[in-house]
Amino acid sequence: MLDIAGIGKERLHLAWVSSAEAQRFVEIVTDVTESIKSQGKFDPESFVFELDAAEITLASETLRWMVGKEVKITTHGDVYGRNWDKESFESILDSALEREYQMNLIFQAIKQGCKSVRDISSEIGLDLMRVSHLLADMEKRSIVEFAGMEDRKPVFAAL
Amino acid sequence: MGNFEPKIVAFLCNWCAYAGADLAGVSRMQYPPNIRTVRVMCSGRVDPVFIIKAFKQGCDGVLVAG
Repeated sequence: MLDIAGIGKERLHLAWVSSAEAQRFVEIVTDVTESIKSQGKFDPESFVFELDAAEITLASETLRWMVGKEVKITTHGDVYGRNWDKESFESILDSALEREYQMNLIFQAIKQGCKSVRDISSEIGLDLMRVSHLLADMEKRSIVEFAGMEDRKPVFAAL
Repeated sequence: MGNFEPKIVAFLCNWCAYAGADLAGVSRMQYPPNIRTVRVMCSGRVDPVFIIKAFKQGCDGVLVAG
């Protein structure tokens, strides 16, 4: 998620430390501090859209359901009887993550006042085709509505 | 880089990482002071949303240790 949002997965570190491994804890903290130091200060002001969209995406049902069902689907197969291995499942999960994140980014842009596809595209840096495609899906899900035409360009409003 | 001191939020699981940190402290081991610890009962408690919120609040990095 952090990579997709442009924040970078290097800012998050995971480590397994047992209660007897004090020396290892010290090494891990030192390494993490060095790594973050070399990446520089993180400025949340320049990532407002991305952080909001990331938060909504991670809190949404779609992703949580997929993560929750991963073990079952990769061991017993899905409801259609198809078997999924971990890599295929995770690549689907990654594309779902990217999709949901981009939709939330578009939603944030619309709430901020961008209305046409061109405005949204230049605000969030996503190409026109992708924005159009995702807006069509969002319209089907009743997240946005088509609010008419301005200057022969379709405009959208958040619901 | 100069004087940049990062703020790192560390989610530490009570039984493992926090105890490890405690042991480091008791043994007088020195380590960088940049981490701000948050003790959780299990590292599984850490929701991805917490991590995003940490960045929103202005931290420079996050460590989850279990």
